[in-house]
Amino acid sequence: MTQLRITGGAIHDPANGIDGDVRDICIDGGRIVASLPADAPVLRANGMVVMAGGIDMHAHVASSSVTLGRRLLPEEHTLDPTPAPAFEDGTIPRSGSGGTIPSTFTTGYRYAGLGYTTVFDAAVAPVSARQTHAEFDDTPIIDGGFFALLGNDDYLHRQIAANEPSRARDYAAWILESTGGYAIKIVNPGGVELWKRNVREVKTLDDPVGASSVTPRRILEVLADASIELGLPHPTHIHCNNLGVAGNVAMTLDTMRALEGRRAHFTHLQFHSYGGERGKSWSSAARQIAEYVNGHPEITGDVGQVMFGDATTLTADGAVEYLLHMSTGKKWINSDIELETGCGVVPYSYREKAAISSLQWVIGLELFLLSADPWRMVLSTDHPNGGSFMSYPDLIRLLMDRAYRDEKLKSVNQKMLAGSALADGITREYTLNEIAIITRAGPARQLGLTHKGHLGVGADADITIYSRDADYAKMFATPRFVLKAGTLVVEEGQLRRAPSGRRIYVRPGYDHALLRDLGKYFESYSSVQLANYPVTGLRDAPVPTGAG
Amino acid sequence: MSGSARVVENAVCLGCGCACDDIGVVVEGGRIVEARNACALGLRWFGDGSLPGAVLGGRSNAIEDVVGEIAELLHSARAPLVYLAPDLTSEAQRAAVAIADQLHGFVDGVTSATASAGILAAQRRGRAGATLGEIRNRADVLVFWAVDPARSYPRFQSRYAPDPAGVHVPNGRADRTVIAVDVGSQRGPDDADVRIQMTAEEESLFLASLRGYLAGRTLGGASIVARVTELAARLNRARYAVIVTDAESVPEDVATPARRADSLIALTQSLNAATRGSLCALRAGGNRNGADTVLTWQTGFPMAVDFSRGAPRYTPEDAALSRLARGAFDAVLLVGATNALPDAVASAIQGVRTIAIGPRASESAVHASIRIDTGVASIHESGLAFRTDDIPLPLRAVLPTPRDTASLLGALGVALAAKGAVA
Repeated sequence: MTQLRITGGAIHDPANGIDGDVRDICIDGGRIVASLPADAPVLRANGMVVMAGGIDMHAHVASSSVTLGRRLLPEEHTLDPTPAPAFEDGTIPRSGSGGTIPSTFTTGYRYAGLGYTTVFDAAVAPVSARQTHAEFDDTPIIDGGFFALLGNDDYLHRQIAANEPSRARDYAAWILESTGGYAIKIVNPGGVELWKRNVREVKTLDDPVGASSVTPRRILEVLADASIELGLPHPTHIHCNNLGVAGNVAMTLDTMRALEGRRAHFTHLQFHSYGGERGKSWSSAARQIAEYVNGHPEITGDVGQVMFGDATTLTADGAVEYLLHMSTGKKWINSDIELETGCGVVPYSYREKAAISSLQWVIGLELFLLSADPWRMVLSTDHPNGGSFMSYPDLIRLLMDRAYRDEKLKSVNQKMLAGSALADGITREYTLNEIAIITRAGPARQLGLTHKGHLGVGADADITIYSRDADYAKMFATPRFVLKAGTLVVEEGQLRRAPSGRRIYVRPGYDHALLRDLGKYFESYSSVQLANYPVTGLRDAPVPTGAG
Repeated sequence: MSGSARVVENAVCLGCGCACDDIGVVVEGGRIVEARNACALGLRWFGDGSLPGAVLGGRSNAIEDVVGEIAELLHSARAPLVYLAPDLTSEAQRAAVAIADQLHGFVDGVTSATASAGILAAQRRGRAGATLGEIRNRADVLVFWAVDPARSYPRFQSRYAPDPAGVHVPNGRADRTVIAVDVGSQRGPDDADVRIQMTAEEESLFLASLRGYLAGRTLGGASIVARVTELAARLNRARYAVIVTDAESVPEDVATPARRADSLIALTQSLNAATRGSLCALRAGGNRNGADTVLTWQTGFPMAVDFSRGAPRYTPEDAALSRLARGAFDAVLLVGATNALPDAVASAIQGVRTIAIGPRASESAVHASIRIDTGVASIHESGLAFRTDDIPLPLRAVLPTPRDTASLLGALGVALAAKGAVA
């Protein structure tokens, strides 16, 4: 592993309180070190901006569902062929295709080309975790991890019905160990199981899911507590009930209140911040959500911004996708998965001329601009749901450049924007350090990744160096240099090397007494042998868990 | 079982797409002597596990030299085809697709010859699907559409549905209604509760009429409408209806599978307006689904991928078979079990310079100038494979492989890389 001293750049490292100071960054053995011999090689970054590598904490990039989506979209891939790059490190370069869900190699190359070096897949069906690992193996450069879907799992619901929260916790731990997952994910708690039973709406957190004691509220409580008791680095990651439905802000706030005082992460909040009334009217409720999050330091969120253009909606929330299929007439995949979870896919397009798209776009920006603490409200488009990760640079410009934002605002459909905070005028512009927070330092802190998202001694040498440009979209779209674990992967804006990424996962441990009961359950109901369930042979060391 | 025997539990059978993973393989004296739980088809697929280990046709007997020779041959080809036959691990499939990419060649496999109708229909419409475990635990109405799993998917009924008890069907078979739809000579299961029959010529109209009926329209004559009404009523009364179809078809009759696949997808999707419904499209064995899945994540397309312009292009209307037929390739790298090739492909390869890498390549009737024996996925080679419903399963080799296919293809990829970019 080579040594390198980066000199002359303005360092934006908010985790270490550094805001644009010019100083050296020293790299040795893939990590940042305090100093290097005077004759170590130098990378001159004079006049440039230096940040840690970007971290996407919520995207859909490597899973059975993602590949169902890929298979659905040959027309997109046909329009965006991506020839193999030319590499200098002997790595065999691979061609691929882009669109809203690029092929695996192209996904790795494009993230790295944007200066992102760590990506989490936000929704993996535990039974298909093996596929996620195989896809990550074919997704170069980026370090990858994933969240395991648990909120609609039949065995988990049985433990809740039997009032066995400690067994539920052990099961959650077993799922993480067996899958090589990083955190517990809940999608539409109880609602996916209800969709399989042809119940299409969750009206309250106390709706029964089969047994009367199994409710969205109990699922949320039990799994939020499980993450806390297991000492997981990232709290339970929650996609609330009623995504995309007018008036869902009430459900979102109920969910947040149900977990008050507990650590929890609420994801793609834009899709859960709608006022108005189902079937009648829509409005922005971003202010209510932002105010709640501002007042509750125990919770974090990501935005799930909508960006105009093509997207693919892809979620474990199968019921939502049926509605979208019916309302748009677009092609539709549903997959009900092994008493564990579900999956739906529908291609979609957000258009400036469309009233709801425009409202969604505004709500996302409001969540960014009304959130007092950028550490707790980070950047995502829920790729590819709100738009591709390739749109992040334009999103950054919208946050940093008020004139650009206001101009853009004028061009969108105004029908539903009356009374929205953005329409009334928000002057806030994000600073470079705030951008560094919402794209790397904040996600790292929320994920509990102590070696990432900053440039202090001991951190992974994942570093992105930008040339300054008044057009922030241009600046962030084409980093001048990107280092991954100390290897220069992008040089002078060109992808030059593609080392393999690492896997980020936990092994929290569980009471093995679980296995007797679980074995009986598998024998009675599973289509996969218990012995064939766990993923084995992960190379990299797990991230430590526990209170200590 | 003698003292020297050992048992490998939870082995995965790739005899068909059901990929039963509860097989106890008994090995004695380097041979498989028993495959517990396996059906007749599975027993045939496992066999005794014996394999040749030859390397034939190379200028040298040393495998490294032969790999170099193959690299030379493929690198100098103007239009090479990489063809994925069955019985490969997904690791080997990944390595094979990588080679096609490096070569700027064409990659395809058995899927385009036998199962493209369903894939293309699902690309037009999407699909409403469910994994086999979900079907086992939830389906209360099962329609076997022109397929009797007893023939080609022998344990489907006992292992997935209708026989086993499930969470939402605690009494198993007794809680389910089984409907056989016979289309001409393609019959559903003999022990169905309800049987609906039609001629092959009637099928399209029947499906259109059924879809119309579910949408509130009447279509077709009285005879068809009577049968449609009966089936529609049962589907609408279902809590969770599953239509089972055979995704594999013979290439000679392209029109029928395409119409059927399209209509069954639309039908099952529309069932979800009133109740819940899914389509279960059965694929044959040898990890065929794995080839489509790997191709999709690596290129964006599940079959018939042309890299000749340096990036993947999708040509399902002009797949390997039609290209072979008009002599479009000057070299073929055939990987996997050559004995499972569709006849049309095997005969079309005649006359093209072919390299065969796979189990029993040395004994294959397929014309090939260089032949390298490797192992069978799940019998001799460990790795990953996909069930017919896309569920990934771990494969544990029960016997040693003559040489690991994925490693060999990886070495070939490195040898190709050393030769530099293809012009």
